[in-house]
Amino acid sequence: MQGKNMPMATGKKIIWLTGVFLALLIVLGPVYMLVKYSVSDLSSINTGGEPIPLWPYHPTLRMYEFLFTDSQFYRVFMNSVIVSLFTVLLSLLLGVPAAYILGRYQIPGRKLLLLAIISVRMFPDIASVIPIVEFFIKLGLHQTYTGVVLAHTLLALPYVIFIGIGAFESIPHELEQQAWVMGAGKFQTFFKILFPLAIPGLAAAAIYTFLLSWDEFIFSYFLMFGRQEIFTLTLYLNGIKYAEPQNLLAAISVCLSVPVIVFSMMVQRYMVAGISTGSVK
Amino acid sequence: MADVVINSFSKKFGSNIVIDRLNLQINNGEFITLLGPSGCGKTTLLRMIAGLESIDGGELFIGGKYYNNLPAQKRHLAMVFQSYALFPHMSVRNNILFGLKIKNVNKAKMQYKLTWVLNLLYLKGLEDRLPREISGGQRQRVALARALVLDPDVLLLDEPLSNLDAALRETAIEELKRIHHQVGKTIIYVTHNQVEALTMSERIALINKGKVEQYDRPKAMYDDPKTLFVAEFIGSPPMNFLEGEIQIQEGFGGVNTSIGFLKLDKDRAAKLEAMSGRKVIAGIRPQNIYFSEHVIRRRHTDTSLDLIVEFVENMGDRSLVIGRTRNSIVMRFMVTRDENITSDQKMPVFIDGRCIHLFDTMSRLNIFNNDGSI
Ligand SMILES: Nc1ncnc2c1ncn2[C@@H]1O[C@H](COP(=O)(O)OP(=O)(O)OP(=O)(O)O)[C@@H](O)[C@H]1O
Ligand SMILES: [Mg+2]
Repeated sequence: MQGKNMPMATGKKIIWLTGVFLALLIVLGPVYMLVKYSVSDLSSINTGGEPIPLWPYHPTLRMYEFLFTDSQFYRVFMNSVIVSLFTVLLSLLLGVPAAYILGRYQIPGRKLLLLAIISVRMFPDIASVIPIVEFFIKLGLHQTYTGVVLAHTLLALPYVIFIGIGAFESIPHELEQQAWVMGAGKFQTFFKILFPLAIPGLAAAAIYTFLLSWDEFIFSYFLMFGRQEIFTLTLYLNGIKYAEPQNLLAAISVCLSVPVIVFSMMVQRYMVAGISTGSVK
Repeated sequence: MADVVINSFSKKFGSNIVIDRLNLQINNGEFITLLGPSGCGKTTLLRMIAGLESIDGGELFIGGKYYNNLPAQKRHLAMVFQSYALFPHMSVRNNILFGLKIKNVNKAKMQYKLTWVLNLLYLKGLEDRLPREISGGQRQRVALARALVLDPDVLLLDEPLSNLDAALRETAIEELKRIHHQVGKTIIYVTHNQVEALTMSERIALINKGKVEQYDRPKAMYDDPKTLFVAEFIGSPPMNFLEGEIQIQEGFGGVNTSIGFLKLDKDRAAKLEAMSGRKVIAGIRPQNIYFSEHVIRRRHTDTSLDLIVEFVENMGDRSLVIGRTRNSIVMRFMVTRDENITSDQKMPVFIDGRCIHLFDTMSRLNIFNNDGSI
């Protein structure tokens, strides 16, 4: 905490800045490449032996225009957004209460429950997908948004619960007890004390869940197969041919990344480190 | 009215008996201290009163009402935890107002209370800070403020000053005394710092292994320890203890110890005749052993003693001298600081016979002020 505001020796500063610069280069290099290709005109890609320029000769947003006027891509994109957001919502709705109970109470069979919860993720998706999809078909949930959201929730829930347990567990018991002594009931204590203090952890879980759902292919594939209009981005990509021009692929990739980045940035505001600092000595 | 009556409290953690048939009565508006060594059960007792720990045996009455089964939310007590337990995501203002909001107090009254407590505890200007943005002493005052605005029947304070430096602690003690004077609440204060206990409270309950050893005014705890444990615990530096036997020598009642025969004052000596031969432990405070050169008038119940100085410990305004008798018994006593004392120096001292405490070797009880022991 205190180290943040400490002045640094110049030599040390230079080393640090170099390090930061290199790290940025490694992280942002591919991003730059993607963006560059996505706004390239064909002459900047097929240069006929000339080295490929650092920035396209005639930058253009044509690929994006094409993508978003293509009704299929637009629908697929929105499907992904909807499925991911609802997955996040449902996972938190189910996961937070579970994490609260498991993190704050010594209920009998707690260890077994935890094991059962994590067991969902102990099999490779490819092994569990068949029985689960079969089950969903019986329930009439295949080829529906609900089915995909439920499946993704199933996959995300163990993580949400485990991250949530950590978040709730780390809140000092005395904060809760202090609230009780001051007259707050269990619900008030949860909503005014425990939940706000667990938010940083839960935000991390939300980002993770969004990513998981956004990226998910296997379950989506089996559940949505045969109903094009609910396809998500991963299924759409599956249908893309290798022959597509590079700039189109790059534009698709950018479109794939932007929502994740936007969502993460929105949620990250809640991931303040050290939220409990100053509460107990 | 918020008198607190604790009848035969018991608490077990597993097979470990932490509170053992403990009795305590606190008058309405009284400021008492629970004092005792680490792990004696002070926090547990406080938590039982607050409703955070179940009462395994015994009864709790506050203001005449039976409290055993009342949940913490309904006890109308306020507690300041040893750790402060400030809500880290709330500003100082919201921390202080939390309890009032829960109780749906109207805005005007909340504002009034906030202003009152901010002034009382010198917290003005900090309302919008988060707990992590204020100092330790300020946090402690916020914790206290949060408890005070609730207008609780009973205020439970668990070592609220334990992490403050000496100077801050002094100020805090002053403040607490002033607050108690102003608000007149029943206060149960926990500490293992006896200076705090002796300076602040109207009565002290010294707890040992989950039982009350003695419950008395600070002066009585100091002057008339009822058990050897109390004598060992209260007072600093600690008492000198000598094993001995009650005897009557040349018409004086006293105790024969390894450093010689110690005479007692007349009143008590008279009671000793019936106890001749009884094995006792004599306790003498370092403050009750005097450097002979400095005292003009002596009593015939004083016992003289020659000590060789081993070393001198500077304690600020006074010094603690550690000396040995001819037969190498260590005795500690106090002198004023400007005394020029060096090691190996010979010092004639005398022990004030009125200030020798006698405890039965077996029962460890004070042989004079415990009913039935004489
Ligand atoms: N939740 C618990 N489970 C088991 N044992 C406990 C629990 N809480 C306290 N104890 C035990 O009970 C005894 C009394 O603890 P307590 O916290 O009341 O001591 P204390 O007098 O407040 O000590 P200190 O001065 O160090 O704060 C200790 O031996 C402790 O180990
Ligand atoms: Mg304690």
